[in-house]
Amino acid sequence: MTELLQNLVDGLGRGSIYALLALGIAVIFGVMHLVNFAHGELITVSAYVAYWLIQGGRNWYVVVPMIVLTATLTSIIIEAVAFRWVRGAPDFTMLLTSFGVHFLVQAAFVMYVSASVKTYARPTWIADTYNIAGINLEIVDLYTIGATIVTLAITVWILQKTMFGLSLRAAAEDFDAARLMGVKSDRVIRGAFALSGVLAGVASVFWLMRSGQATPSAGEGPMLKGVLAALIGGLGSMPGAVVGGLVLGVAEVLLRAYLPGSVASLTEGVVFVLIALLFIFRPQGIINVSHAERV
Amino acid sequence: MFSNLKRDLVFPTIGSGLLFAMLVGGGLLYSSFGATSRADLVTALLVNAIMVVGIQIFIGNTGILSFGHVGFGAIAGYAFAVLAIAPARKSTVIRNAPWNLNEVQLSPVMAGLVAVVVSLLVAVLIGFGLARSGAASGAVAATVITLALLEVTHELAINWTDLTGGDRAGLSFRIGQTIESRWPIYLALFGAILIARLFAQSKTGLLAQAGREDNLAARAMGINPTVQQMVALLVSVAIVAVAASLRVYQIGNITPNFFFLEYTLLTLVMLIVGGRNSVTGALLGAVIITIGSEFTRYLAGPSVSIPGTDWILRDGLSRIFLGAAMVGFMIFRSSGLVNDWELDQWLYRKTQSGRETAPSLPEVPEPPAPIRLVVEDVTVDFGGFRALTSVGITASSDEIIGLIGPNGAGKTTLVNVITGMVQPTEGKYFLGDKQLDGAPPRMIARSGLVRTFQNLRLFSSLTVRQNVEVSWTVAESHHLEKANLSVDEIIRQSGLWELRHRRASELDYGNSRRLELARAAALRPRFLLLDEPTSGMSDAESDRMIEQVRATARSVGAGVLVIDHDLNFITGISDRIYVLDQGRVIAEGTPGEVQADPQVQAAYLGSAAATD
Repeated sequence: MTELLQNLVDGLGRGSIYALLALGIAVIFGVMHLVNFAHGELITVSAYVAYWLIQGGRNWYVVVPMIVLTATLTSIIIEAVAFRWVRGAPDFTMLLTSFGVHFLVQAAFVMYVSASVKTYARPTWIADTYNIAGINLEIVDLYTIGATIVTLAITVWILQKTMFGLSLRAAAEDFDAARLMGVKSDRVIRGAFALSGVLAGVASVFWLMRSGQATPSAGEGPMLKGVLAALIGGLGSMPGAVVGGLVLGVAEVLLRAYLPGSVASLTEGVVFVLIALLFIFRPQGIINVSHAERV
Repeated sequence: MFSNLKRDLVFPTIGSGLLFAMLVGGGLLYSSFGATSRADLVTALLVNAIMVVGIQIFIGNTGILSFGHVGFGAIAGYAFAVLAIAPARKSTVIRNAPWNLNEVQLSPVMAGLVAVVVSLLVAVLIGFGLARSGAASGAVAATVITLALLEVTHELAINWTDLTGGDRAGLSFRIGQTIESRWPIYLALFGAILIARLFAQSKTGLLAQAGREDNLAARAMGINPTVQQMVALLVSVAIVAVAASLRVYQIGNITPNFFFLEYTLLTLVMLIVGGRNSVTGALLGAVIITIGSEFTRYLAGPSVSIPGTDWILRDGLSRIFLGAAMVGFMIFRSSGLVNDWELDQWLYRKTQSGRETAPSLPEVPEPPAPIRLVVEDVTVDFGGFRALTSVGITASSDEIIGLIGPNGAGKTTLVNVITGMVQPTEGKYFLGDKQLDGAPPRMIARSGLVRTFQNLRLFSSLTVRQNVEVSWTVAESHHLEKANLSVDEIIRQSGLWELRHRRASELDYGNSRRLELARAAALRPRFLLLDEPTSGMSDAESDRMIEQVRATARSVGAGVLVIDHDLNFITGISDRIYVLDQGRVIAEGTPGEVQADPQVQAAYLGSAAATD
């Protein structure tokens, strides 16, 4: 029982990171129908910034805001350099554009930094646990969950209460109608990328605290998880993305803990197979967003 | 299998030979001057070309982006390596291989065949997955399923060390045991090009392309695109498996990263740079990207030093080149250099189109015995909104029925219901004695109820002729009524003969409408359901359209249910009219009766007369 609870909290900790990434992916999908395979690059770039700052003797109190800032700026820059030019293009084109950006950023880091792993010091408390009634909880999980709750609360407030949030939701509902109603598409898309960058920044902070590494492909794993979580939740649904992230995180931890030894090393593979099965039986994801085509 | 032997079999075979000869000839010429490393580069190019052509068959014909083909390559590559490497060699790395595979040795050809079979078995599973996920062109779920395959094969390759030798060792042939002659590669390359070209020209290929262009319209023309997607997948995977076996056999070893993201990027870039909808394009892309990668590698190498360019001419430049090529082409030319241009079709048009003679206009046949379309008490709720309330309509296939009503009256909803695209909340409908409600759109289309779309849904990058051929092929393969008219006669009758080789996307608005009608007529319908066939047309064009609707209906022996809000058009064309307002039928009768009906004048004509 205590083991299960520990695993659940661990899963929610991981899942929170996936949820933030998935939410960012869902926000962008909402405004431009793009599944962003380059979302992980926000983490990659942040990883090197973290590495350089910590090499330079900076404290994590400085590193944390810098990571969020880096991810946000990177997101805005990628939009301006690449995605702006494929707005409204067929899904095929946008998918491959983001796949290409993913490889370009990765190649640039191989070329200008190194293909090898750069390690930096993780926060000293990273492995500490907190004991409540015999259950050992990792502090970093609690921080992750706490920060995610705060970030989500602020995001919900932005979406519900601000003019920008309203335009964003309207655009996600029906982009053309929103534009007719006076929503400035340019501003909404740029705003969506900025918001998505902030969310990825918060996710990066905790991902990078845990990993302690910067590599050219640092963002690949989390990006895949984010995309999968967004799909599990039903692409385009923002609450779905959050639920999808949490489900994925918990499923991963539980599978790793309870799969028999010989298969345990294949956890990632099992997760992929399960997700493929989910799409086969419920292609619209957990939460159904109806995008009936008009004929 | 083919609609036109010369166009679809003879010319593609000649064209495949030419493409093969150019590629191999160019390669031999290049490697005859210079170091032996050039020969290796050419061999690698030829093997990659087979792989890319294999991938083109699936992505090009279906429009589904697959990351998984390299995963199929991994499966085939490992199957080949495990079976073809000598037991003595294997005993050091995979001593405990399952099923005692470490003691097995097959000839390279047999090993290659087994590799094809194994990857085809996996492809069947993946194909069912794609079908279930409702894969359409550009579908994200389908792409993720293929990505999952790539990830799972990679994971297995790393962790199933008893079979694969794992991440470090991998599996390798003894030096000198690898491929000796280029002939197997030549044979496979020519075979791949030929199969890819013949598939694209086959009826299955044409229907797959229709599904790629517009999934919904394809289903409305009686096609079940998942069938063609499955066939395309299997053909494509078989070729990919051969290419992967050759790649392993040529290089002499395999490790988990051999068939993973890097190779996915390389092959996809080759495909899209040339043009993913064309085999010629796929080969061109393979050549350009191979040259480009070599050149960037040379620029970044030690033999070139230009002052001030250190920051760009350095290791890793060729990867930047690949990534930039992908993003650049997606932004500036997403259909690739040649789009869907094919060498053999170009030759065919150059040499043969002068010989095509316009068919004479066909005689009007005896009309078949009329059949009735009966719609009973159809009600449709969208959430809380009731779009149709107990609508009943009866039409006979020897008349033209008009359905008129203001915007939002529920006209298009009614067509969507009758063609199976919207399920009614209540109500039934029949064609003859056949009950059609609940049937999927493609079955309804094959039973004889064929529609057009208010917002034009042509197969836009197919030619005018191909658009008509698609539904003709469906009618033929499902043994619908015997045809009164050939494809060419239908095109001639629609007034599109001169434009038959044009792409549908190049037609003007009026001709697009005419093509949509011709495409529907080629399915040998008993009823044509026309959703606003004259919207956006001038009065003169609209009159011409009335004539064409009448002529088409007579020559295929179909009844017509035509929807419009234009009163002149509807009264000009219809024998009888139903008036719909706010989801209810408010009047029915001859044009004269309906125009005189006070309720109609109040609900519809009054406002129309005021604005006229």
